[in-house]
Amino acid sequence: MTSSGATTRAAVWRARLAIPGARTQLTLILLAAFAWSALSLDTPAGLIHTGGVAALGEIALAFVTPDLSPGFLRTVVSDAWTTLAFAVAGMTVAVIVGVPLGVVASGVLQTSRFKRLGVMAAARAVLAALRAVHEIVWAILLVAAFGVTPAAGVLAIGVPYAGILGRILAERLQDAPGEPLAALRASGASETEVLVYGRVPASAADVVSYAFYRLECAVRAAAVLSFVGLGGLGLRITTALNDLAFERMWTAVFALVLLVVGIDLWSALVRRRLSR
Amino acid sequence: MTGPSSKNRRRASRPGAPAVSLIRRRPFFVLSTLLLLALVAASWGRVLTQGGSGPGLLSAEAWRRAGEFVADLAGAGEPGRPAFLVWDSWRGALRLAGDTLVMSVLAAGLAAAGALATIAFGASNLAGRGSVAGRGLVAVTRGVYILTRAVPELVWALIVVFVFSPGVLAGAVALAIHNFGVLGRLGAEIVEDIDPAPVESLRTSGAGRVQLLFYGVLPQVMPQFVTFLLYRWEVIIRTSVVVGLVAAAGLGYQFRLDLAFFRYSDVALLLIVYVLLVWAADLASVGLRKLAR
Repeated sequence: MTSSGATTRAAVWRARLAIPGARTQLTLILLAAFAWSALSLDTPAGLIHTGGVAALGEIALAFVTPDLSPGFLRTVVSDAWTTLAFAVAGMTVAVIVGVPLGVVASGVLQTSRFKRLGVMAAARAVLAALRAVHEIVWAILLVAAFGVTPAAGVLAIGVPYAGILGRILAERLQDAPGEPLAALRASGASETEVLVYGRVPASAADVVSYAFYRLECAVRAAAVLSFVGLGGLGLRITTALNDLAFERMWTAVFALVLLVVGIDLWSALVRRRLSR
Repeated sequence: MTGPSSKNRRRASRPGAPAVSLIRRRPFFVLSTLLLLALVAASWGRVLTQGGSGPGLLSAEAWRRAGEFVADLAGAGEPGRPAFLVWDSWRGALRLAGDTLVMSVLAAGLAAAGALATIAFGASNLAGRGSVAGRGLVAVTRGVYILTRAVPELVWALIVVFVFSPGVLAGAVALAIHNFGVLGRLGAEIVEDIDPAPVESLRTSGAGRVQLLFYGVLPQVMPQFVTFLLYRWEVIIRTSVVVGLVAAAGLGYQFRLDLAFFRYSDVALLLIVYVLLVWAADLASVGLRKLAR
């Protein structure tokens, strides 16, 4: 009663003082932020290369005439496989590290309230630390520490993605609808059984489709890992650009697009069947 | 971050059968699982046979080097005070963080503008109604979204610096191209899910196409779109550091230089500022998302 009276009074005051509503405020904030960013750029004269427009034309022309010679296609297929392999290997690490951490971070297995809060906070802090730093920054640091080794590349994907997967898993397990879980408990199921027969099936579709989306991201990440010295499509793109061979660059880019589209299709098939 | 769409979430919240019987019932899952296992095995085979320079991950040499690197980050190998204890270095790093922030906001704005300008063409319930040309337009728009989204920001940056001078704008454009595809796809999906009733009633009262878009479609789309844009902005801020590596701007570029010149305590300072920036952006995004609701 009083609270609704207070909100109406607040609304009247907002109207009197001409304070805009939340959405208008948000629009103004976003537009102001964009304007401030645009204004803090250097003078427009120096923004485009002298040869920039010509380069744009060449890049556009190469887009419709990619290099499709059999020899180069074979190289690109092998590169695409390297990139996919790094992505899949990285995701395996992410699942092996992220799933147990995620289950702990969800706190669904602990029955004592005190213990649950402590364990959850610790697991969540670990997950947050893992995902705070971008995978390429991880890659640079790991390469600086371990040298240019395949393991550095796999860990560079696996470590941050474990943080992200674990967080999503924890949230989904917590959000599982309560009634079926209560029914399981009433029939004498332990918290572990509630997890396996109640929470996991309820969150499977979301978690699996998110894992597939992350695999797609991992493919992109693996492609740019060649930046720190591992092979694959990214290395092909970089060398092509260094040679100004835009036709070859687009062939490698199209291979990357095909990989991503393939994973997307597979993911859609799995998701449709899981949610049926 | 792309969460699964709300439609899936609603369906998934229905309690399903236990996972075990699910696999027993459907050959598709057996096939998918086998394919996945084969892929994992083959991938590890490919990765482990990849040569590399440097000690193996499990060798004592590798861990010694990793330990040395961490000590270097803490400033052990340098004569003077480590950079993260010097106020001037902090001032420089914060200015670079400002550049990175500008880059991310520009990128988010450009990507959002591009996506909003094209989602009507990418939605089958608007552009794709009836005519073959309309359906072709939807397919082409979706194709552009797929291409721009599939290519990572860093690769776009490598291409963009052929056209734009290296700097904040080049980085922002590279980030914007990738996120244009992400936001466009999502926006078109939101448009396809809208309630057709308000649009129809506007149409019958004689509104033109542009009026339909502005008064019928966009008001329904905007809250969800802006929420998602803010999520994307968090991702963009993380990535703007990486794009800065090649676009020669902000924290990323300095990170690369300091690493190349073995100024490890400066690298540590940049990492600290980076994590602080990401953290502040997450907080700001949460606050702004509350306004969108």
